Amino acid sequence: MLDRIGEKYDVVVVGGGPGGMGAALGARDSGAEGVLILDREPEVGGILLQCIHSGFGLHYFREELTGPEYAERFLEKVIQYDVDLATNSYVSGIAIDSDGTKQVRVMNEQRGLFTVDTRSVVLSMGCRERTRGSIRIPGTRPSGVLTAGLAQKLVNLEGYLPGKRIAVLGSGDIGLIMARRLILEGCEVVGVFEIMPYSNGLTRNVVQCLDDFGIPLHLSTMVAYIYGRDRVEKITVAPVDKDFKPDMGRAWDVDCDTLLLSIGLIPENELSQSLGIHLDVITGGPRVSSTLETSMPGVFACGNVLHVHDLVDFVTQESILAGQFAAEWSRGIRRPMDNIRLVPGDNVRYCLPHTLSPEREHTIYMRCKQALKPCRIRVGNLIEKKLRFVVPAEMIMFKIKPDLLEKFHGDTLRIDLVPDVQGENNG
Amino acid sequence: MVKSAQFICIGCPIGCPLQLQHQGGKIMEISGHECNRGAKYARQEFTDPRRSLSTTVSISGAKWRRLPVKVTEPVEKDRVTEAVRKIHELQIAAPVRLGQILIHDLLGEKNVNVVACRSMERISTA
Repeated sequence: MLDRIGEKYDVVVVGGGPGGMGAALGARDSGAEGVLILDREPEVGGILLQCIHSGFGLHYFREELTGPEYAERFLEKVIQYDVDLATNSYVSGIAIDSDGTKQVRVMNEQRGLFTVDTRSVVLSMGCRERTRGSIRIPGTRPSGVLTAGLAQKLVNLEGYLPGKRIAVLGSGDIGLIMARRLILEGCEVVGVFEIMPYSNGLTRNVVQCLDDFGIPLHLSTMVAYIYGRDRVEKITVAPVDKDFKPDMGRAWDVDCDTLLLSIGLIPENELSQSLGIHLDVITGGPRVSSTLETSMPGVFACGNVLHVHDLVDFVTQESILAGQFAAEWSRGIRRPMDNIRLVPGDNVRYCLPHTLSPEREHTIYMRCKQALKPCRIRVGNLIEKKLRFVVPAEMIMFKIKPDLLEKFHGDTLRIDLVPDVQGENNG
Repeated sequence: MVKSAQFICIGCPIGCPLQLQHQGGKIMEISGHECNRGAKYARQEFTDPRRSLSTTVSISGAKWRRLPVKVTEPVEKDRVTEAVRKIHELQIAAPVRLGQILIHDLLGEKNVNVVACRSMERISTA
């Protein structure tokens, strides 16, 4: 990949996954002259490069693509839009001058440690996987315990199999997809264990990745112990009660040499925190205004670093917007301050952005706490509509028109998801 | 005798439990679906179940050791493993272009091809 770095930019994008590429394109479209993407990996594309299964692009391209295809289409556009790219380049910090100029501190092999100046920054560092440490599985510490995404990188890019007899903890989509992937590569997958009473993955993946290959899915089951000196030899799994306490009387042992963990994702915000940016404790990402600007003026955020998405198409949509607003900022355009706070109410885990303005239309992203079918979504007294279902695994997205917000006179708009009583009677 | 087959619809996260009654290979009744996608899915799964298929193959002279590939049309469900075995025999040498056809008419099916899902440059090893 052709690397090119100048001294001064309008917009610098940290992270070259789908979020970063979308932001760079959005910024160029909105009149930013100099745009630079910095990525610590040897090529841009982010996690898409190892997601070789299809299912990407149905919303954005209206066709079903694999991850690498989706990434390459965007890379071609990024090159065509004359965006500068620097790979193998790690951002170690950002300093902000009194006049608002940002100095991005970068490290790479060719130039060592150096800084680039920019007017605005888009944070799109993505997210990382939770590990064994975050759920504290008791036992020894042998090799063979790794996250599903790491296994995906080893198998799909580097050509290594992580083991021969695989157990998977967690039924998120990455875990399910890796179960099928490893079967197709000749491994044995002895089972998927999920602590919740339902799968966290899409039904499509439960059917096509597990059922098709006869892989058992054990719900309400946890891994209680890992055995093995140098290498995983077996694990003990146990059913859990409704308080997630294991019932050791009904526990059993599973022979395996590998345990894959698919137990959740965390936005990667160390850089944001070093800047003193305010984070939302629920999403783990920055608090943002309706222009996707963080609490640090001129610093924007999008993609999985803001909140974990389930569809890359929505990352693209969100990041193009972030790039557009970052470009406006770099050109000295200042939108009126937001004057409405958006807050989660009944059965809403989080909603974004954190503030709104009646100046223009907004796209709201949110997740529910618990599945409801059917239900009603209420946005203050402005919107009330019926939804066929909500599930925690599927992000809810809708738009609010400016004329509605103009009619709103409070300062806090609350979103609730309530059961649809009429629908229940019909059902 | 009327027999019954069960499926879980994959159309959306609701995952309707579908029942399909059949007799002598003929579909008599489909139930359990909340929308038309469910009925369509049950019919397809009963008469001709297919799966889209992607995997990786060995590549030399490139940045990575594996090249992602996909089959351009869904493959018969019962032949997925056979198809993967055939695809895994491939040994590709870089460079390769996105969309380049690596196998024509996979498993003898006309216009069912295996294509590269990305481009990979040739890297000089010197």
